[in-house]
Amino acid sequence: MSKLKNVGDLQALREKLQGQISRRKATNTTITVGMGTCGIAAGAREVMHAILEELQRRDIQAHVTTVGCIGMCSREPLVDIQQGDEDRVTYGNVSPNMVPRLIEEHVVNSRVIDEWVIGRVSGQGG
Amino acid sequence: MSITLTIDGQSVQAEEGQTVLEVAKRAGVTIPTLCYHPALEPLGACRLCVVEVIQRGRSQIVTSCTMPAEPGMEVRTSTPAVMESRRTVLELLLSRCPNVPVIQQLAAQYGVTEPPFEADDPNEKCILCGLCVRACNDLVGAHVLNFSDRGISRVIGPAFMEKTRDCIGCGACTIVCPTGAIEIVLEKEALYAAKPLGPASAIYVPFLQAVPRVPVIDTDACIRFRQQARTNGELADACGVCQLLCEARAIDYTQQDEELDIEVGAVVVATGFADFDPYLAPQYSFGKSPNIITGIEFERLSNSGGPTEGEILTAEGVPPKSVAILHCVGSRDKHTNKYCSRVCCMYALKQAHLVRDKTGADVFEFYMDIRAPGKSYEEFYERVQEEGVHFIRGKGAEVTVQPDGKLLVKGEDADLSRVVAVSVDMVILGTGMTAQPDAAEVSHLFGIGCGNEGFFTEAHPKLRPVETNTDGVYLAGTCQGPRDVPDTVAHANAAAAEVLALLTKGEVVISPATAEVNRDKCVGCGDCIPVCPYTAIARVDGKAQVNAALCKGCGTCVATCPSGAIEALHFTDEQIVAQIEGVLKWV
Amino acid sequence: MVEYRADVLVGCEHGEHPDLVGALKAEIERRNLGAEINVVETGCRGFCAMGPILLIEPEGIIYCAVKAADIPEVVEETLVKGRVVERLAYQEPVTHQRICHYEDIPFYHKQMRLVLRNCGMVDPRSIEEYIASGGYSALEKVLTTMTPDEVIQAITVSGLRGRGGAGFPTGRKWSSTKHAHGECRYIVANGDEGDPGAFMDRSMMEGDPYAILEGMTIGAYAIENVREGYIYVRDEYPLAVENLRLAIERATEMGLLGDHILGSDFSFHIKIVRGAGAFVCGESSALMQSLEGSVGEPRPKHVHATESGLWGQPTALNNVETWANVPLIINMGAGEYAKIGTTNSKGTKAFCLVGKVRHTGLIEVPMGMTLREIVYDIGGGPQEGREIKAIQTGGPSGGCIPSHLLDLPVDYESLAEVGSMMGSGGMIVMDDTNCMVDVARYFLDFLKDESCGKCTPCREGIKRMLDILTKIVTGNGEMSDLDKLERIARTVQRASLCALGKTSPNPVLSTLRYYRDEYEAHILQKRCPAGVCRDLITYNILEAKCTGCGRCLRNCPRKAITGERRKLHVIDQALCIKCGICKENCVFDAIEVS
Repeated sequence: MSKLKNVGDLQALREKLQGQISRRKATNTTITVGMGTCGIAAGAREVMHAILEELQRRDIQAHVTTVGCIGMCSREPLVDIQQGDEDRVTYGNVSPNMVPRLIEEHVVNSRVIDEWVIGRVSGQGG
Repeated sequence: MSITLTIDGQSVQAEEGQTVLEVAKRAGVTIPTLCYHPALEPLGACRLCVVEVIQRGRSQIVTSCTMPAEPGMEVRTSTPAVMESRRTVLELLLSRCPNVPVIQQLAAQYGVTEPPFEADDPNEKCILCGLCVRACNDLVGAHVLNFSDRGISRVIGPAFMEKTRDCIGCGACTIVCPTGAIEIVLEKEALYAAKPLGPASAIYVPFLQAVPRVPVIDTDACIRFRQQARTNGELADACGVCQLLCEARAIDYTQQDEELDIEVGAVVVATGFADFDPYLAPQYSFGKSPNIITGIEFERLSNSGGPTEGEILTAEGVPPKSVAILHCVGSRDKHTNKYCSRVCCMYALKQAHLVRDKTGADVFEFYMDIRAPGKSYEEFYERVQEEGVHFIRGKGAEVTVQPDGKLLVKGEDADLSRVVAVSVDMVILGTGMTAQPDAAEVSHLFGIGCGNEGFFTEAHPKLRPVETNTDGVYLAGTCQGPRDVPDTVAHANAAAAEVLALLTKGEVVISPATAEVNRDKCVGCGDCIPVCPYTAIARVDGKAQVNAALCKGCGTCVATCPSGAIEALHFTDEQIVAQIEGVLKWV
Repeated sequence: MVEYRADVLVGCEHGEHPDLVGALKAEIERRNLGAEINVVETGCRGFCAMGPILLIEPEGIIYCAVKAADIPEVVEETLVKGRVVERLAYQEPVTHQRICHYEDIPFYHKQMRLVLRNCGMVDPRSIEEYIASGGYSALEKVLTTMTPDEVIQAITVSGLRGRGGAGFPTGRKWSSTKHAHGECRYIVANGDEGDPGAFMDRSMMEGDPYAILEGMTIGAYAIENVREGYIYVRDEYPLAVENLRLAIERATEMGLLGDHILGSDFSFHIKIVRGAGAFVCGESSALMQSLEGSVGEPRPKHVHATESGLWGQPTALNNVETWANVPLIINMGAGEYAKIGTTNSKGTKAFCLVGKVRHTGLIEVPMGMTLREIVYDIGGGPQEGREIKAIQTGGPSGGCIPSHLLDLPVDYESLAEVGSMMGSGGMIVMDDTNCMVDVARYFLDFLKDESCGKCTPCREGIKRMLDILTKIVTGNGEMSDLDKLERIARTVQRASLCALGKTSPNPVLSTLRYYRDEYEAHILQKRCPAGVCRDLITYNILEAKCTGCGRCLRNCPRKAITGERRKLHVIDQALCIKCGICKENCVFDAIEVS
């Protein structure tokens, strides 16, 4: 890493690096990918990689976690998105090319893409 | 700047920078100390000098030796807390060293008569006050003693508790030690190895009979002068123990060698001889073993003022069982000096006697023939023979150092016509006398003659043995040629008598036949100056001038002068020509 | 750069399971998860009783006492399937409930981890992680918005006091250093932690070295004319030395240390000096002697180090924990910081909670928390069936605080009042199986070797106090010994040269003060109430409980136990060396100490 020539360099570097340890800090957004055998078979890993890439490209602080099979194997890959105290929204049959729109609309603009939704859980009960 | 403080209610004045202990001592208040010495930086280790100090409303127990006196300070030297602390410290010290009188006495003053605990070692004397450490490091600069280990294992000693040659045996540690825990043991072996046959310390009386009997400082060995030399004179504060301890305040490090110009009417040259350099006779292996020594070194060894206090010991520190003495080392030898040094036979016999007498060792004398002329000399030779010294007629040919350190001396026994070899513990080389290495310079300086061997030439070998060719310059002793002590004394007395005879007359008779320079002819080339054996010619105003008082009229300059400007008075060219003509008239 | 979805934080790397990281990495690789999961080696997280610990973020799942064999399950269940492995989760000692989230564990819940915030949470070898977690923002603030005097003012207002033991106000120390005359000034970080059972400084140097560097850099800026700082670390802390060295290297590369820090005119260098592990070198004047290359021995301190310290120049010497507090104060603001703690003791203090509690470890609590909260809420209280007897604070120079004073708030003054001290932060909990005479003897035994030996009271006094205590624990004590003991202790306290010497009798004096009855039992009844002192106890096998299983017989190192199988065993008292191995091995509780 090159030498920091002034305070501005330090601030810029800190901002750039913050994502690196954001997983250890609270963020507002949790994206959960179903990664049971069924999910992986249906392409959940590719979906998760697409999510990670998209988050990084847009420099969004969000937690991406994986869970096992939640039973709705026919609709895999499943992706849940929850922001703050909002409802936890489950999207089904997600493919990597759907990911940019998911991030754009739901994560950035907090607009649920109803046509892809297959279920909702109240945020408070969570 | 003066400051005021109170000690035990009494108002006292102090200089800034003084410690409470110093101020109290001056005010007559007694505070016990063990690790304090006025010449050394205080350490605050024994904690006996504790006092109570009240300052800015705060009371604390401190060591007075380290506490700087400050204005308005109130010092109490005998409060119950102070007394209890001192008493406990003394109890602890007495338990450590139950048999040290200083501690017993101090403890008794504080009511402690019996050590309350059992000592680990009842013979322990060291209280780890560190005075010796400070003396050795800060004062002497020898850096031999220091603390090692810590806690209850702390001890004082040299690095790794091993004997070290860095110890110069100055004894400063023993002087400052309050409990007598340090003893200087003269280890003859170590001393011998550290400074073979030289003075044992940097300050010493040159020899026992020296007059005046005052010590001199060997600047090559003295720590302070060495430091001064090392730092090009920038630093000269190391050691100073001699100055510190000299009650007469007689030590002055600033003294310098001086040159004195003295006008005299006569000079006695008594520059003595140089001992033959044994390295010039490599067959005797001098320098390859510390047990091959010269006759002069043996004199030092057997001298009661020498490093072994007169005991004859090898470098291993034990008396030799066998000793070989080689005659004619550097004498009667076409490779070195052809002449006989005259004294070696007799001193070799004396040394053989000393070895027999002091050690009982077998002594082998390798000689060509014994030269013992004079009163009682031959008788002494006979006595030594009777003492059982083995005389081997034949010059020692070679000395070799054996792998076990013994010395093998080979030579030819002319009486038996065969080669002999003896293995001995010590070899004494009977080194001869040689002229001083600067004899040529001295001879030129005084205008006196000097033979091929470097000994000065007397005016006449039989009739004028102390005079030289230069008036007013006389010879005494071995600078003229090898001779022993009685002969030297006689020779010196004769020179003194000659000087007195000259000086009491009040005037000198000079020869009228001297050289004279014709200043009109002299071109000032200076060729005459170096050829004058009497240094009688000097250049004055660009021309040669002859000092008539020095000139002997030898005529060398007359013959040398290229422009014919010098004439010998009474022997001028005209006079000589006239004489020739006169002679010829009768022919 | 790879964006990971999860971090697995592994602490306790130099513990008993150095292969944990390797096993984890191998398993992740095997399952082809290397691109998603980031394994981070961190410093100590302090929960030492439960180590090694794995923390999985962002879920915040904590696993205790993880072994290499557990790794496949952790990866399969948690990292792939997002499920908690219950059996590795922390178990609450009373309710036996499993707690899987870090913040929910009482050990952490009650703490206030400010100085230790990064320990166990970031990779100490990565300056990037330190910067990302807000590191160097204090230096940034200081360089851009504060004058040196304002920094000292802030430290003064914050009420920060030396964390090394004496508790001298840090702001005042910096200010006197700044106003002393000298060619230059020095700052020193004391990392020569030598108290038995204490490892706060080590954890900080290992786990968050950059915070110490940042604190020192701010100090150098505030004190001015400081070109060089030193960190004195004992060489027994190789990982601390390594991490600090790497941190200095990286910070210098990045322009956060060295010449022209962050392009400014301010330059400051830090050097590491390794100590050889003498306890006394933790004393400031001895430390500086050692730094200069001499033997580490204390000097009389009539002139303070702030006037004439290292190489005779004004020197500010602080404990590493003190330095680590500095960036925190600047970031929080002095006023905010001063709100934590009590009137005279501000901020938090790290302690090493060890001894007879369930949850030993490195903790950080606000000043003024009571000993009870620390011991019971954080430490989980005594072991089953035992009773807390005393808490020893301040290392060998501290004292024992009896259990009836458990509601004592932990701050500098309160601890000193009851005869102990804050010290650097050792906190040893003792229960009814600890003999207080033996405890005092233990500390003196430590000190007899660790005293530098320079002054008489400390060197000889400790030895003689130890002699007396040895006499007492072997049953040869007399009542007059107690007076002698007290008198020597008083003199050592009063007349020793340095603070270490002056405080060395504290274990004796405080146990004499609170547990005189135990001393008297040893002397008058020749009895050790706690059953510790070997010369005063005997081991016996209870007929009613012994089943004749033979475990004790097999394990006895002296073959002092005899007995046929399934019949009562007997200890031959002539052979018994009272090692207690039989008692430890008996599963029927049939061995009694009397």
